[in-house]
Amino acid sequence: MRKGRIELGDVTPHNIKQLKLLNQVVFPVSYNDKFYKDVLEAGELAKLSYYNDVVVGGVCCRVDVLDGQRRLYIMTLGCLGPYRRLGIGTKMLEHVLNFVEKEGNFNSIFLHVQVNNDGALDFYKKFGFEVVETKQHYYKRIEPADAHVLQKTLVKS
Amino acid sequence: MDPKKQLLPPKENSLFKRILKSYEQKQYRNGLKFAKQILASFPEHGETLAMKGLILNCLGRKEEAYNFVRQGLRNNLRSHVCWHVFGLLQRSDKKYDEAIKCYRNALKWDKDNLQILRDLSLLQIQMRDLDGYKETRYRLFELRPTQRASWIGYAMSFHLLQDYDTALKILEEFRKTVQKTNYDYEYSELLLYQNLVIRESKHMEEALKHLNTYESNICDKVTLQELRGELLMALGRTEDASEVYRGLIKRNPENRDYYIKLEGSLGLTTVDERLKLYEELKEKFPRAQVPKRLPLNYARGEALESLLDPYLRAALQKGVPPLFTDIQVLYTEPDRVQSIESLMDKYLTNLEETGHLCDTDNEYKEPASILFVLMFMAQHHSFLGKTETALSLIERALEHTPTLIELYIIKGKILKHAGDYVGAYEALQEAQALDTADRYVNSKAASYLLKANLVRQAEEMCSKFTREGVSAMENLNEMQCMWFQTECAKAYYRLGQYGESLRKCHEVDRHFTEIIEDQFDFHTYCMRKMTLRSYVELLRLEDILRSNRFYWDAAQTAITIYLRLYDHPLTSNTKENDINTGEC
Repeated sequence: MRKGRIELGDVTPHNIKQLKLLNQVVFPVSYNDKFYKDVLEAGELAKLSYYNDVVVGGVCCRVDVLDGQRRLYIMTLGCLGPYRRLGIGTKMLEHVLNFVEKEGNFNSIFLHVQVNNDGALDFYKKFGFEVVETKQHYYKRIEPADAHVLQKTLVKS
Repeated sequence: MDPKKQLLPPKENSLFKRILKSYEQKQYRNGLKFAKQILASFPEHGETLAMKGLILNCLGRKEEAYNFVRQGLRNNLRSHVCWHVFGLLQRSDKKYDEAIKCYRNALKWDKDNLQILRDLSLLQIQMRDLDGYKETRYRLFELRPTQRASWIGYAMSFHLLQDYDTALKILEEFRKTVQKTNYDYEYSELLLYQNLVIRESKHMEEALKHLNTYESNICDKVTLQELRGELLMALGRTEDASEVYRGLIKRNPENRDYYIKLEGSLGLTTVDERLKLYEELKEKFPRAQVPKRLPLNYARGEALESLLDPYLRAALQKGVPPLFTDIQVLYTEPDRVQSIESLMDKYLTNLEETGHLCDTDNEYKEPASILFVLMFMAQHHSFLGKTETALSLIERALEHTPTLIELYIIKGKILKHAGDYVGAYEALQEAQALDTADRYVNSKAASYLLKANLVRQAEEMCSKFTREGVSAMENLNEMQCMWFQTECAKAYYRLGQYGESLRKCHEVDRHFTEIIEDQFDFHTYCMRKMTLRSYVELLRLEDILRSNRFYWDAAQTAITIYLRLYDHPLTSNTKENDINTGEC
């Protein structure tokens, strides 16, 4: 029998509660209302993943400009526990990578990962991300509080 | 009344003709202008007064309309125009009986007037005055024997009076005159109508012969085969019938009805015979669901389990949310329930241990299988009245996939079964919030709010999908949203707000009156389009329209309230209570 169907869909005012619920379950950090307000404006930078028509994952990014450098910051990328290792994260990350490639004016993509999250570290390394910095006490209410900064430098076309 | 005064000189006469034309073309202002010109010199002219009234009626000035039409008629009681106009006015007010009388009077003065005869025939069929209808259709037939509608209408009047032989004679004469084109849908419909009349006359042999003769002219091939199967069965030619049903199954292997009829035509009586048939059909149509599902209704014991096992596993592997609804009909016998439960328990253990539904399974480990098992079992236990178990299972499912909206709906249903209407609507509100674009969930949430007597909140919930700018209640009424109105009536009744409840009941009653009135347009439309089978079906549906469940529901609520009010009339005290509880 075949594997389930994986698709990406837009975040809209109609389904944003599903993204909220998902993030609550998947991440130890909680995000405020502003976060979700911005997500609704984010277009291709925010997506839901569907497994057989049920929401099981989500990705939210924003554009970060620092010293004239355009960087894409992955705020959240996550998937419900039972649906991991099925290619859902890959699908979402590929969507983000395709997006920056198409846009062509990004210097890099980066994100924060809790230092003990080996699964995430392996996942991103597979796609060419590297730890470029480790921030002490990055997280406020969770242990361990330190975070790696993972970054993938992009070759400008 | 001086009859001479009612004759117009040529100039005014041509003006009058222009009034008629303006009316037909809906140029009401012009019509009134011409009428004014005539009335300036002939203020007593009855037909002009009547026409003026008719036009005013079209402009919504009903009271004036009646005055002018009545006055016109008084001035000229011998005018078919005046009587016809009065009839039209009554018809527009739905006073069909009165209108029929007016038309009859009009015909006294102009017995061959086609327009009046046609209008009369429409009213007669609407009122089911079938004898009157037959007479009028006969007159029309005599006057216009070359028109198609004359033949059809005349034949149908006999059919409806169950004079099948005459109806068939007319139809056959007419059929002979029809000029057929290559792919002639209307001719095909005529043949199928003719066949319907033959069948109703109980001449099955004739009907079958008719079907065979015109096979190539009948465009609707599915209906053709279905009728053929039915007729062969009626004639006891079961073997031929079974061939027809096999053909139909091949054409559409998902139609249950064909399988049941095939069983009948093969004369299968024992369980084993039936199961054997389905084994054969499963092999023939490996992708079809029906031959896998139907044998579950027949099998018992081990045979049932051996069929259920692959059926359930396929559904759980694929993720079929309504699996329980599909299987629920088997719950009439404890043994079957036991079989289902033990299979499901086994799947759950297997999934927990190996991630597969069964140990011999080398299939892909579907991560949602356990979710669907939990979801099924929750419904299973709720059905058996074990609310606690059901709730703990649904919570486990929610932990697995909190984004599956169906789970919240099921949770609500479990709570509703247990009588916790508040918990039920809360669960539905959660479901609704997760996808506010889903109308089904929205309606379900509203219906659960009504169960908890929260009428205002239910209306607010519905308002997310009703037209903007109008109150939701009004719009729901406009859309004939009867599930809402009947549930709303019950909620008001439970709250003791009898007035509000009765208002909803009467709204429902009005929908049915309206549906019967809407029938009017079909009398001409169906004849013109030759959709005669559907037309007869419509007439028969309208005859029993109020047996519909929604009407039944509303009537029951209304009767209960009226009886209660009769037994305990409202005093000024109770009235006050009524108002006080109005804030729900």
